[in-house]
Amino acid sequence: MSPTGAHNLWVIWASYLVGLLLSVAPMPSFMEVGRPLWLAMCVTYWILALPHRVSMTVIWLLGLAMDVLYGVLLGQHALTLTLIAFLVMSLQQRIRVFPPWQQSLVILVVFGLAQLVQLWLNALTGNRPPTLAFLLPALVSALLWPWVFTALRGLRLRLNVN
Amino acid sequence: MARLLVLAVLSVALMVVDARFDTFKPVRSQLGLLLTPFYWVTDLPVRLWEGINQQFTSRSELLAENEKLKAEALLMQRRLQKLATLTEQNVRLRELLNSAALVDERVLVSELIGVDPNPFTHRILIDKGERDGVFIGQPVLDARGLMGQVVEVMPYSARVLLLTDTTHSIPIQVNRNGLRAIAVGTGNPESLELRHVADTADIKEGDLLVSSGMGQRFPSGYPVAIVKEVIHDSGQPFAIVRAVPTAALNRTRYMLLVFSDPRTAEQRASEAAQAQEALDLKAAEQGAAPVVPPAPTPERAAAPAKPEPPAQIQGPRR
Repeated sequence: MSPTGAHNLWVIWASYLVGLLLSVAPMPSFMEVGRPLWLAMCVTYWILALPHRVSMTVIWLLGLAMDVLYGVLLGQHALTLTLIAFLVMSLQQRIRVFPPWQQSLVILVVFGLAQLVQLWLNALTGNRPPTLAFLLPALVSALLWPWVFTALRGLRLRLNVN
Repeated sequence: MARLLVLAVLSVALMVVDARFDTFKPVRSQLGLLLTPFYWVTDLPVRLWEGINQQFTSRSELLAENEKLKAEALLMQRRLQKLATLTEQNVRLRELLNSAALVDERVLVSELIGVDPNPFTHRILIDKGERDGVFIGQPVLDARGLMGQVVEVMPYSARVLLLTDTTHSIPIQVNRNGLRAIAVGTGNPESLELRHVADTADIKEGDLLVSSGMGQRFPSGYPVAIVKEVIHDSGQPFAIVRAVPTAALNRTRYMLLVFSDPRTAEQRASEAAQAQEALDLKAAEQGAAPVVPPAPTPERAAAPAKPEPPAQIQGPRR
């Protein structure tokens, strides 16, 4: 369909952009506690599907962009996003053959770990939520994962990203 | 693995530098300029909805609203008439007392463009930034009271920390008797807590709390909160006092940025006195020739209460 050399890599970038947008999109306040980690989900998908097209440095820079958007210390999201990317990359060979619901479980653990690191870093700057609600985004992301996976997979196959 | 280590160390280094030094402030500010459009885009559906809503508001509703606004304007004007005399009186009395309280501050209207995505912090993004003269620590108000202060400035936007954030506290005093206290945010947008209020202190439900100006950050005399409950627990060293912020912290879309006077107290006092003298002279001249309608001199002595233009409100005496 597409000439050799065109890998349609813009789709990956577009998904990152949408992930960033969704992570600051306004939401009703009762849902805000469980805002899914959209960007992390996009990153995870592309690592699973096309590991050779994902660069850790780019992910780190995306994390920095998140930090500026959220107005927290520079490097906070960069660290957790890199951590997620690293864990997914090292488990990639195994996770990619799992059925989606099992992938969800792995994602729950990985994102939960990242949220825990995030909590520690937030505590350093004095913003510590008094509840376990900081784990909610990981749970919501895990529940949403099968749909995100299907959607991004459809996009990848249709647009022939490789 | 090596890459992860490098990036992790880099992140930690960045965090430490960002927390301890101001080196990255300009970089951050520029990055913020680059990323502010994200907030604009995500806010678009809300704007669109508001626009559509306005388009399709029915005529009768508009008429009703018009009526209501007219009634409100009338009420406000009545108060304004009173205010003119009161301001005059206030200025005179202050002069008599040789006091240097500011007569008025300059304010700038700004609009909300985003809310912090982290639900555990209470911060908002507004559409005025460094280019409009916004500075760190600047107080932000809405029509009903204090909202918070600016904590981060980007070229065309700024981040405001609200009163109810857990990391925010504000020195206040009870309007009724001048009792001083510190109101600390609780992380709940409808509640502030007063710290270290003695069990015997004269404070009760319904008291208005105003900013005391003690922290040298917020101007004094703006309403902050209304006391909701006072709990005297004999097991606690201090009374537990909870208050509801008067500003609609999680509903307002428009807010005011206050520019406090950079002049010293003495300068302000002398300038206020001079302005007052000039006004008195003018009033005397006009009083001498009352038959002539004052067409060529549109600014009259009652300048302090003149309805100001909405965008940039200038204090009357500067």
